[in-house]
Amino acid sequence: MSDIGNARLKFYCDEHRCISCDGCSVACAEAHELPANINRRKVVTMNEGIFGLEYSLSIACMHCTDAPCEQVCPTDCFYIREDGIVLHDKDKCIGCAYCLYACPFGAPQFPQDGAFSIKGVMDKCTMCAGGPEETNSDKERELYGQNRIAEGKVPVCAAMCSTKALLVGDSAEISDIYRERVLSIGHGAKTQPYGWSTAYGSKI
Amino acid sequence: MKSKYIIIALLALSSLAFGYSDSVVWSDNLVDNILGYDKEGSLHLGQYFTILQSTYFKPLFFGVLFGVPAIFLIHYLIIGPMIFSHDRKKIYVFTLFNRIVHAIAGIAFILIIPTGLIMMFATTFGGGEFVRICKDIHAISTLLFIVSIVPMFLMWLRPMLPSSDDIKWMMILGGYLNKRKDPVPAGRFNAGQKMWFWLATLGGFLMIGTGVAMYFQDFRLDILVSNSISQIDFLRASAIIHNVLGLAVLALFLTHIYMSVFAIKGAIHSMINGYKEEEEVEILHSSYYKELKEKGEA
Repeated sequence: MSDIGNARLKFYCDEHRCISCDGCSVACAEAHELPANINRRKVVTMNEGIFGLEYSLSIACMHCTDAPCEQVCPTDCFYIREDGIVLHDKDKCIGCAYCLYACPFGAPQFPQDGAFSIKGVMDKCTMCAGGPEETNSDKERELYGQNRIAEGKVPVCAAMCSTKALLVGDSAEISDIYRERVLSIGHGAKTQPYGWSTAYGSKI
Repeated sequence: MKSKYIIIALLALSSLAFGYSDSVVWSDNLVDNILGYDKEGSLHLGQYFTILQSTYFKPLFFGVLFGVPAIFLIHYLIIGPMIFSHDRKKIYVFTLFNRIVHAIAGIAFILIIPTGLIMMFATTFGGGEFVRICKDIHAISTLLFIVSIVPMFLMWLRPMLPSSDDIKWMMILGGYLNKRKDPVPAGRFNAGQKMWFWLATLGGFLMIGTGVAMYFQDFRLDILVSNSISQIDFLRASAIIHNVLGLAVLALFLTHIYMSVFAIKGAIHSMINGYKEEEEVEILHSSYYKELKEKGEA
């Protein structure tokens, strides 16, 4: 890390590398023991079926610098950590779903709570950084899942990514890594999806 | 043959059980929902909603909630209430059916409006369980509103249609700006009541529609799919419409209360026992009074 004080943690999914294996979303759901129908992370395929334009990428909360969810929340339950991670307080949240309307990525999730399909409180990616409760307490684990950041670990989705398409870390570092990857395309690095030529030969 | 039907039935039932997994917001439609935010040709509702909700709605609701009563307080202090003689004859204007429907709608409004305001100012109330309960009351009392809005719309539709009196009424603001007891041009309902009626019924239907959409959130409407409107854009539009109409409903609801309880002394009794003072009808609903005179009912 170059300058830890000004670091802003971001996700970036390299669409040249993502093979749409869904490892990240499964890892996320398993690590945080998410209930069914809650998908903090999701792999989507853009331009599906259009030759040459199709690509996949993994989407969750993008931890926006000017997070619109934080701006519209009527209970002000969002807070942005110094390192840029956008978190929210489930004890304050009323489940109005305004954050979902403001979010450009469809990140906020709502469990169906009990009868009359009343929406429960919002759940979203925490970049494995827990919530406002005491770090690594039972309550934090129950409400927000693991707090891997506090343990010095990489968020589980990026750690599990088999092609290292999903990057996470200081935005400057991430952009350096991605720039290096782009520059090396056509210079000995693989231009086809990772592993394709090994498996099927480079001619196809 | 029989087993084929059993398999079909099982498939149909299991699709019900897993129906939710076919989410309109988060499954394949997630791509459309994401592209809808700011792609060329999108409705840009994401940004509009964010700007409106983050900077405008709260101060506007605050302004209406305290501004409208403040104006009425000034009106009450300077011009004062209208006081009509209670010694003359009484005229039966609202049937029992009218009053019951109005009472149900009234209870619904008394539950819906404060809970809606608590949700809007949730930060002040600290969020959490209290506001969550208010949110549920807000949703459940809609049922009361639904059962009252349909009969109310039908029973008052005819007298609420616009007439030439309405323009004259608007020109003098219903005669509320002076204390003189000049006959005010109005039929059975005056232009102000008509405004409130159309807002509460047509606006009410829209409020119910947008509110129900936000409550259930994840459902498939074919009309949206065929017009390639993404579900989230529809929810964003619902939230904007619900809040803008909510402002108008709040303003006219406060006006309605002020008129019935404070501005016209004793006016509220017509909605309790059905009778209005003859002088009140003669002055405030002069056209209706003339009509009654001609029929010999007054």
